[in-house]
Amino acid sequence: MISVKNLQKSFGDHEVLKGIDENIEKGEKVVIIGPSGSGKSTFLRCLNLLEEPTGGDIVFEGMNITSKECDINLIRRKMGMVFQQFNLFPHLSVKDNITLAPVKLGIMKADEAEKRALQLLERVGLPDKADAYPGQLSGGQQQRIAIARALAMNPDVMLFDEPTSALDPEMVGEVLEIMKELAEDGMTMVVVTHEMGFAREVATRVLFMDGGYIMEQNGPKEFFANPQNPRLKDFLAKVL
Amino acid sequence: MGGINFADWLAAGPGWLATMPEWLQNLFFQLYQTFIYQDRWKFFTNGLKVTILITLGALLLGVVIGVIIAVIRSAHDSKRGTPNIVLRIVNAICKLYLTVIRGTPMMVQLLIMGFVILKPRGDTQIVVTAILAFGINSGAYVAEIVRSGIMSISAGQMEAGRSLGLNYAKTMWYIIIPQAVKNILPALGNELITLIKETSIVTVIAGQDLTKAAQVIVTKTYQPYVPYISLAIIYLVIVLILTKLLGLLERRLRASDKR
Repeated sequence: MISVKNLQKSFGDHEVLKGIDENIEKGEKVVIIGPSGSGKSTFLRCLNLLEEPTGGDIVFEGMNITSKECDINLIRRKMGMVFQQFNLFPHLSVKDNITLAPVKLGIMKADEAEKRALQLLERVGLPDKADAYPGQLSGGQQQRIAIARALAMNPDVMLFDEPTSALDPEMVGEVLEIMKELAEDGMTMVVVTHEMGFAREVATRVLFMDGGYIMEQNGPKEFFANPQNPRLKDFLAKVL
Repeated sequence: MGGINFADWLAAGPGWLATMPEWLQNLFFQLYQTFIYQDRWKFFTNGLKVTILITLGALLLGVVIGVIIAVIRSAHDSKRGTPNIVLRIVNAICKLYLTVIRGTPMMVQLLIMGFVILKPRGDTQIVVTAILAFGINSGAYVAEIVRSGIMSISAGQMEAGRSLGLNYAKTMWYIIIPQAVKNILPALGNELITLIKETSIVTVIAGQDLTKAAQVIVTKTYQPYVPYISLAIIYLVIVLILTKLLGLLERRLRASDKR
């Protein structure tokens, strides 16, 4: 579904991604871990071109999205994204946050989108918050709304950029729970996270990034039980 | 010219006038001359209409110009690396406009618009000329105000909008601008208040505004005291009303901030 070839990204003189090759198949749940500064968030943000790669190709559903002819706005409709800082729209009610993109892009009619929004709110366990504003909600609730907002576009893949890193510890569970349900429903997911428990439980594949490369990858059992790369061993020793 | 003298006015007036101290009689006489005699209050109401018309027109034009320029300037500045050539040229034009408009006096811009570029004839043309001159001037200040508002919104908002498949313009319009407007409303209100007062210089291109009305009456009565003080009070009242209305609007827009 997503095929990445020799992906490179530099910020000025600073080389963050030094050549990534990776294939992500439909239905996979890929979890990316690694120390901060390893390039894992940059890699994820390159997948929907929030960061423009400086080299290499990304092919999504048969379309090279780094080419000039590709309309990235159409591609992004199929790639939902959830951010560390939630990034809900504070001036809009929860319901309007969810319906804005489908309605303004002409994908759904207003009443249709509203029905869908209420369904999604039900799914993330917040059916009574439709008319609340983001500022009135806890971090965990905001992140669940953000997931609902991304799902409203019916994406083929969901990208999660450290979705629980900005949350108070007692709210991490509720967000991971929603993500787990999403995984069980068969959604293709790429998740950058520090939650090793989630990686172990939900991932079909775990990638370890360091210094702008993917250093090691494996199924979750093998990955945690039998790490090969010395840096991964070192990293796991510190976080587990 | 005044058309009436003090003694005649006193004799014709009601009896209670004669019992008053002389300075008060004088004040009433001047008020009478300024507003009542020959229906002179109509000068003020007609002038007020012109002042409001020019202000509203200029405000509208200023906001349109301001938002467009602010969006272009922020698009240019938010691009990492070198933006494309078209954006760079348009950005350079915007910067030139800002420099020229903010670097020259409003009065000079009005004179140039009124006597060099457009040379209006008749009241309607003068009003249109004034709206253009004040609107183009105001646009430069509004542009910088709006730009500061756009920059006050976190980059995550733009990313969230774009990640949903909305293009740059739609994200700006539905997500960034509404939040920016809320942040800049006090500054924008200030600009409106400055604008309504500044329209008083439209007299130099023969605009028949509120200030002109007072001047006309002074030329008839040779008594500047009451017309000019009244003029100041009228401007003050307009500004007070606007301040109040802007305060109400601000409170309404803040409704979503409640926690």
